[in-house]
Amino acid sequence: MENVLELKNVSKQFGSGHVAVTALHDVNFSITPGQFVTIIGPSGSGKSTFLTIAAGLQTPTSGQVLLNGHDLSAQSEKQRLRDRFAHVGFILQGSNLIPYLTVAEQFKLVDRLTHQKFQREEMRHLLDRLDLSKLENNYPNELSGGERQRVAIAKALFHDPDIVLADEPTASLDSARSFDVVKRLISEAHDLNKAIIMVTHDERLTKDSDAVYRIEDGQMTEF
Amino acid sequence: MYLGLKEMAHEKLRYALLTGVMLLIALVVFILAGLANGLSQGNRLAVDQWHADNVYLNQQANKSIAGSQLTTDVTKSVTADKLAPMNIASTVLRRTGTNKKINVALIGTTKDAFLIPKLLHGRKPTKTNEIIVSQDLWDRGMKLGDKIKLGQLTQTQTVVGSYGHNMYSITPTIYTDLATVAKIQQGNLRPNQALPIAAVVTAGDSKLKNSSNLQKLSMPDFINHLPGYTAEQTTLNAMIYFLFTMSLAIIGIFMYVLVLQKQALFGVLKVEGIGTGYILASVVTQAIIMSTIGVVVGLGLTTLFGAFAPTNMPFALDFPRLIIDAILLVLAATVGALLSGRTIARINPVAAIN
Ligand SMILES: Nc1ncnc2c1ncn2[C@@H]1O[C@H](COP(=O)(O)OP(=O)(O)O)[C@@H](O)[C@H]1O
Ligand SMILES: [Mg+2]
Repeated sequence: MENVLELKNVSKQFGSGHVAVTALHDVNFSITPGQFVTIIGPSGSGKSTFLTIAAGLQTPTSGQVLLNGHDLSAQSEKQRLRDRFAHVGFILQGSNLIPYLTVAEQFKLVDRLTHQKFQREEMRHLLDRLDLSKLENNYPNELSGGERQRVAIAKALFHDPDIVLADEPTASLDSARSFDVVKRLISEAHDLNKAIIMVTHDERLTKDSDAVYRIEDGQMTEF
Repeated sequence: MYLGLKEMAHEKLRYALLTGVMLLIALVVFILAGLANGLSQGNRLAVDQWHADNVYLNQQANKSIAGSQLTTDVTKSVTADKLAPMNIASTVLRRTGTNKKINVALIGTTKDAFLIPKLLHGRKPTKTNEIIVSQDLWDRGMKLGDKIKLGQLTQTQTVVGSYGHNMYSITPTIYTDLATVAKIQQGNLRPNQALPIAAVVTAGDSKLKNSSNLQKLSMPDFINHLPGYTAEQTTLNAMIYFLFTMSLAIIGIFMYVLVLQKQALFGVLKVEGIGTGYILASVVTQAIIMSTIGVVVGLGLTTLFGAFAPTNMPFALDFPRLIIDAILLVLAATVGALLSGRTIARINPVAAIN
């Protein structure tokens, strides 16, 4: 199976000299479609740095990042922005929903940006899968934390991205809701054949993952 | 755009207040422009209606009619297609039988001078102590055959005609002969005295015959040197330009503050692949919408104000100019919003992932 995302010998250093921080040290990583991978590590271990480099938001100090086989460092910033919009879905810690758009409008915005007709059926299909069908016309502040993260999942999956990156998506949820969100991420990955990477510091959430990577002081190991 | 519009619809109060601020600025700009135009007309309408091409003043007058003292014999030094001697004095008009006084500008010239305005009623004066009055006096109840007193003159004047709206020094005008103006200025005249005038007014080609103490002025030059004219216009226009800058600054500052408040959200948008261009476009769209609504409502209110403005207030709307001012206000707001571009460009999406 083709790798959707591959990191080869990626290192990232911030600063230089004696204040230099090595956030990532010689990281190797790969993920294929349909895989749900968890990256676990304590605060400050390099998880977010990993995600931003995987998404092309930052460039590594050394090493290669391949998205669908294309080397990100060979692309212009504009091209990376376009690829991110087209191929990468995001679920962020708090919520990446826009406060003044209803659930349906969050999706509509995406279609506005690409100058295409609103794909209402695709949105409804995703919302149904996540038990959100009655909340289409609600604003984010009218939803519970769990519902918000589920909307974020649906939005990340809208228009068929190749990969979804989730940065501590359960950070603001209680444990029952956290398990629910992870369960849903796993079934989306398997049913829709998506590559999903979830970053977390909660050990309990890793048990059903297809692969678990541990990261500590920038060193990543699979187990 | 979609984003900007949806946000405005959701945050109605915030954006309505900002639109209100734009409306107030637009209103002040338009009313000042109306006053500038009204004052300008009040000063120059009489001169414009001469349909003249040049004015000859005393060389020592520093281009100002108020400082120009000449006599009728200087008309011999000028050759022109059309030519008329002219004198002007401020005085007070009183209708006989009443005590009501009106300030007027009394313009003296010869009987058949080209610069006498087109009559709406009656006929031109043919002998001394006959006058014609402007619409502005006509509107205050003056009519043909009315007897009036001018300043300290003992002779009674008779209204024999009237012409359209006509102002000088923000007062209505009266046309009479040169002798009457001279008597207002000097009291009694000596017999056979050359009559005093302030200027020789010409239309068509004209030139000075021989060396004389006259100076030839174009009409714009003459008007710019009317007493107070340039000072008034520069002051009011300076205020208007200042307000353009203010609308730029106000929208610029407000949009900047709003952008700072929304930095985190914009960071998230950038993570998702929505670029600076789209975000800036929605901010600019908001500024254009707010300023356009403010300006259009401002135009409406100004028109209303014009209709109900007190008659003693020199207020006249010049719509082509108002439209230009309106466009400039929207442009200023747009530029103000564009100033946030750098801030938006600098928002780092990496900060949204932590
Ligand atoms: N822009 C930066 N400049 C300097 N140091 C940074 C920067 N970003 C991250 N770091 C450092 O890199 C390390 C890893 O950070 P991060 O990836 O945010 O960890 P995590 O997400 O696991 O908490 C930390 O020591 C952090 O202080
Ligand atoms: Mg982090």
